[in-house]
Amino acid sequence: MTSSALAGAGAGDGRDAEAATSVLRADDVAVHFGGVKAVDGVSIVLTPGRLFGILGPNGSGKSTLLAALTRLVPLTRGRLEFEGRRYDRVRPHTIAARGVARTFQTVRILPGRTVFDNVALGAESAGSGSKAERGRARERVRRAIERTGLSGKERHRPDELSYGHQRRVEIARAIASEPTLLLLDEPTAGMNRQERDDITGLLADLRAEGLTQLLIEHDVQMMVDACDHLFAMNFGALIAEGEPEAVVRHPAVQEAYLGTQGRAHA
Amino acid sequence: MIDWYFSHIVLIQSTFTTLLLALSVQVPLRAGVFSFAGVGCYGIGGYLAAIGMVHYGLSTATAILLAAVAGGAVAYALGLLIQRLTGLYLAMATVAFTLIISVLVVNGGDLTGGASGLFGALGMLDTGHLLAVVVVVVAALTFTELGPLGRRIEAVREDPELASAMGIDVARYRRATFAVSGMLGGLSGSMTVLLRSTVTPDDINFHLVVLALTIIIVGGSRSWIGALIGTVIFVWMPEVLAFVGEWEDVVYGVLVAAAAVYLPGGVTGAAVDGYRKYRRKRREAAASPPDAPPPQQAAAAVGGDS
Repeated sequence: MTSSALAGAGAGDGRDAEAATSVLRADDVAVHFGGVKAVDGVSIVLTPGRLFGILGPNGSGKSTLLAALTRLVPLTRGRLEFEGRRYDRVRPHTIAARGVARTFQTVRILPGRTVFDNVALGAESAGSGSKAERGRARERVRRAIERTGLSGKERHRPDELSYGHQRRVEIARAIASEPTLLLLDEPTAGMNRQERDDITGLLADLRAEGLTQLLIEHDVQMMVDACDHLFAMNFGALIAEGEPEAVVRHPAVQEAYLGTQGRAHA
Repeated sequence: MIDWYFSHIVLIQSTFTTLLLALSVQVPLRAGVFSFAGVGCYGIGGYLAAIGMVHYGLSTATAILLAAVAGGAVAYALGLLIQRLTGLYLAMATVAFTLIISVLVVNGGDLTGGASGLFGALGMLDTGHLLAVVVVVVAALTFTELGPLGRRIEAVREDPELASAMGIDVARYRRATFAVSGMLGGLSGSMTVLLRSTVTPDDINFHLVVLALTIIIVGGSRSWIGALIGTVIFVWMPEVLAFVGEWEDVVYGVLVAAAAVYLPGGVTGAAVDGYRKYRRKRREAAASPPDAPPPQQAAAAVGGDS
């Protein structure tokens, strides 16, 4: 599906203008595993200071797209630009240095290290050579721990934390690097309502501070409430994008979530 | 004490050189690199030091330095060559590298002394020199285990993909561990040979790989302390178990098997786990009110004993 066909959900026709000021631009990105087209021809543009979301049923290619954007899987084809610089041929570790941080679909933290150490891993990626830099990194760790509600748990190890708190460690580690773009893969999975609200509030605060974010979540209502702009995917392709309310009402999105029979009953 | 020192000087010196050999395997393992290249570099270092002294009249220090640098360089080149391999395939490739070194020295003609090896490479080395080298090496390795560098190495071992996403150049870290491993192997090999004054192809064979691995299995791979504990156990075990005579190999096997089954992280891993459990219990005790009933009694009191 071409981008013009997706504009009906409210994306507007200003893609070229947006691209000129984009934080991230992905053109015709495809990731194929043999005959499986996990992502196929996806084009997205992320503009500064906005919270973008990706919706889609299980297996629709959301996490693979995130992995492609962070170069953790090789592209079958396509072009990636971050702040105007092409990066689809660079190695994954250079992406973080340019200002892209991410969390993962499953909790991935160092099991033998404390909360402080795990968050420090993110803060130190921003540079920790001199004593002054190490001091600044410690301050970023302290602030990220405070913002994610982990104060008092700095010396706890992952096996002493609830699943929700382990998720917070991942988020703290990502924001401790003070990124330009934050990619979040189901950051509230396994959290209760209160914890979800806390994280949603944190993401809103980060947006207010000008941080561009791309969020994957299954909670449609949360995505509609939190995001400025939604992308919807199914079978590896982008099926709709635009204003959240318009995207969730888009027939292709309803088809993807409910199926033809479900839509008939709806 | 002085009598004891002189009667055990060979074991004491062997403890230091074996520790360096064990560290040449522990360093890559700590970064998640299953490599025995350090053992091959032990052979390279031993032969280079012997060749340097016997054929070219190098001083002891120059021969050791040459061995360490050459070991590091060869291991780094090997790391570049096989950097895409992981796990058992990487281990097998590095074991093959060690065996290739032993074949090369057998066929090295007058340079390596062929199957007879080289004799007369007696270095001016004493226990103090060995201790100084070990202290410097251990200090450097301690630095790599602490702070930001320690965290990054742990990330490379535990989750290379996460490490990449955190901006860590995983391939560079892995190559660096090859180089350090080779240097340590070269140091160990050269100092062992210069203490003994001889080196033969039999000194570089598969049993060295097994020795280094068992030291790390029993001691633990996460810290140099594990390598030290394992080294002390295996270097001094023949002395301690002298009374069991020919059963020594059986005791050796049982010890390694027991460590593999009951101490998956080695002696240091068990100690660290024990300390963490103790700390956790203390924290939980501090968090609960002093007159609160134990959790099982509290659950029973509210009917929640299922």
